Amino acid sequence: MRILVVEDEQKTADYLCKGLGESGYRVEVARDGFDAQHLFTEGEFDLIILDVMLPGLDGWQLLQLIRRRSQVPVLFLTARDAVEYRVKGLELGADDYLVKPFSFVELLARVRTLLRRGPPRETERFRVADLEMDVLRRRVTRQGERIALTNKEFALLELFLDREGEVLSRTYIASRVWQMNFDSDTNVVEVAVRRLRAKVDDPFPTKLIHTERGMGYVLEDRS
Amino acid sequence: MPVLRSLAARLSLLFALVSVLLLGSLGAYLYHSLSREIAWRDDQMLRGRLERMEALLDDGESVAALRERPQLYANMLGNRDSLLWLLDPRGQALIEVNPGHLAVPELPASREVRLGDVAGPVPARLAWQTLEQDGRPLTLVAGKLLEERRQMLADYRLRLWLALATGALLACLLGWGLSRRGLRPLRRLARQASRIDVRHLDRRLGVEGEPQEIVDLSRGLDRMLERLEEGFSQLARYSADMAHEMRTPLTNLLGQTQHTLRRERSAEEYRQVLESNIEEYERLSRMIDSMLLLARTENPSQEPPREPVDLGLLVEQLCEYFEGMAEEDGRTLAHRASGTVVANCELLRRALANLMANALRHGRSGTPIRIDTLTTPERVELRVQNQGEPIAPEDLSRVFERFYRCDPARTGAVGSGGLGLAIVRSIAKWHGGEVGVESSAEEGTTFTLSLPRVSRDAAAPPPPARGSA
Repeated sequence: MRILVVEDEQKTADYLCKGLGESGYRVEVARDGFDAQHLFTEGEFDLIILDVMLPGLDGWQLLQLIRRRSQVPVLFLTARDAVEYRVKGLELGADDYLVKPFSFVELLARVRTLLRRGPPRETERFRVADLEMDVLRRRVTRQGERIALTNKEFALLELFLDREGEVLSRTYIASRVWQMNFDSDTNVVEVAVRRLRAKVDDPFPTKLIHTERGMGYVLEDRS
Repeated sequence: MPVLRSLAARLSLLFALVSVLLLGSLGAYLYHSLSREIAWRDDQMLRGRLERMEALLDDGESVAALRERPQLYANMLGNRDSLLWLLDPRGQALIEVNPGHLAVPELPASREVRLGDVAGPVPARLAWQTLEQDGRPLTLVAGKLLEERRQMLADYRLRLWLALATGALLACLLGWGLSRRGLRPLRRLARQASRIDVRHLDRRLGVEGEPQEIVDLSRGLDRMLERLEEGFSQLARYSADMAHEMRTPLTNLLGQTQHTLRRERSAEEYRQVLESNIEEYERLSRMIDSMLLLARTENPSQEPPREPVDLGLLVEQLCEYFEGMAEEDGRTLAHRASGTVVANCELLRRALANLMANALRHGRSGTPIRIDTLTTPERVELRVQNQGEPIAPEDLSRVFERFYRCDPARTGAVGSGGLGLAIVRSIAKWHGGEVGVESSAEEGTTFTLSLPRVSRDAAAPPPPARGSA
């Protein structure tokens, strides 16, 4: 998977390059709009991460150029979160956006979502280690034992299973499970994960939900 | 025109203009009535002459006799501007008094007295009548040269013009003087105002004993200054508080990182420092978010969309969100909210979330938190009530200020960094609503968020105008 990162700020570009590289993507970095235009016409990319404040050709112009030639997913980054900015980006054909400062985990989650696009995958059954979830019948079992979950606990576990192996940030979890699109500055998500763990993990020897301190939570079988 | 920038100059010009108009129309009126009067008198005099001459002729005096006895009309002869003719049918003058040497006029016959003007180098006014004497028609003509009258009227006109010009000049000068005098309080006001600048916002105009208009103006300006001063000092306080709040996480970051780098440490130790740093970064990031939100809602350059929001549903969602947190602490969320309000759903959700988080943070463990609505025809009041330590009366009015904390020792590490309630107020105000708080030991603490049911600018309905609130 090849990603083109268009970012003029040196440090940001460096860590995006490193971070995405370590996550298994091949990354090319463009430092300004003209550079990006050149790279884009030369190579094939699966995703473009675009900072809209660029020297030379700015992000909006670049986005228009890209959209004239291809439907490659574009995630744009902006330091301004005024509504008109987001609307403009999405209108010009961007697929998603992130407002600076954003967490790397958040970025990674969005990148994965964008790259996974295509025919929507409706998973009806999940299975990780001995944990099973039947989405349609709303049944969760571990070692064949039925676990009773509330609606929100079910939604949270479904999100973890759907993103198995990915670190999910607290804000991402809050926005997906409770539609809270802002950092509410409370430990709601911690509490919710703790309660889910109490039902899903605590009674069993194999722990599946792990805390990545400072980043979020991940569900995976580490045994 | 730079001259007209001055109010005094404008006023004096206006004075002059008004007096020219007044004096001019008065003069014109006087002039015309005078000239009409003179003309009428002249005409009467001419008629009188004709009558007298006719009487003489009727008395049987023959024309020849009349010619012999000029003394009968001699009073006219000394007169330089009187004319008299008696004309036979052929137009020959039988009697002629003509000091101006006018040509004998040709006049249509008329039994009645007729009047007319003779133009030409020597203008005159004539009255004439045709008489029968001894079977032949004679034309009797009396006249008056107009030269003298014209001269007199011209003099009169000249004097009128002079009076007009003098009047206008006087009015202009008087107007200038009077307006400068009248505008003196305004100049004093300007002097007072020029003493006030950013560093002396506490100064006031304080104009008293001036004309009422000036006093009203200065009071209005003083009130404006008060609001400005308040805004300025709030802004300054806000900036200082903000800098202070940022200092704490930055101190942690700097100190901790430097301390770690002083010698070699295990990977685990580095890891711990980085993880702790992330927490501080998140705190800073949250602060910036909150400050940007405040800046946006307090000075909205663009109106975010509004839509009808079902309060019951919104509170239900929020209760689901906070449920776990409340239960951990042995508390319940009692939700009895209902109704609809036209608002920006995201912002309203945020305001309510802040109020509920605040209640959870400050309420006593094991007590319920009640959320309900009070609907009046004009407003919807959302109320969040918790039991716990009451807020001191002196703090009540200030809890919505930015960075204000009832307990100064409590820092931003836990909680909203001191901006949560300020955001609630800002969102309420943006919707044209208000916030309020009541607190007592018995009733607990109740925060209210009151919103107008109809949006502030009803003329411009929200984009998805599905019905109204």
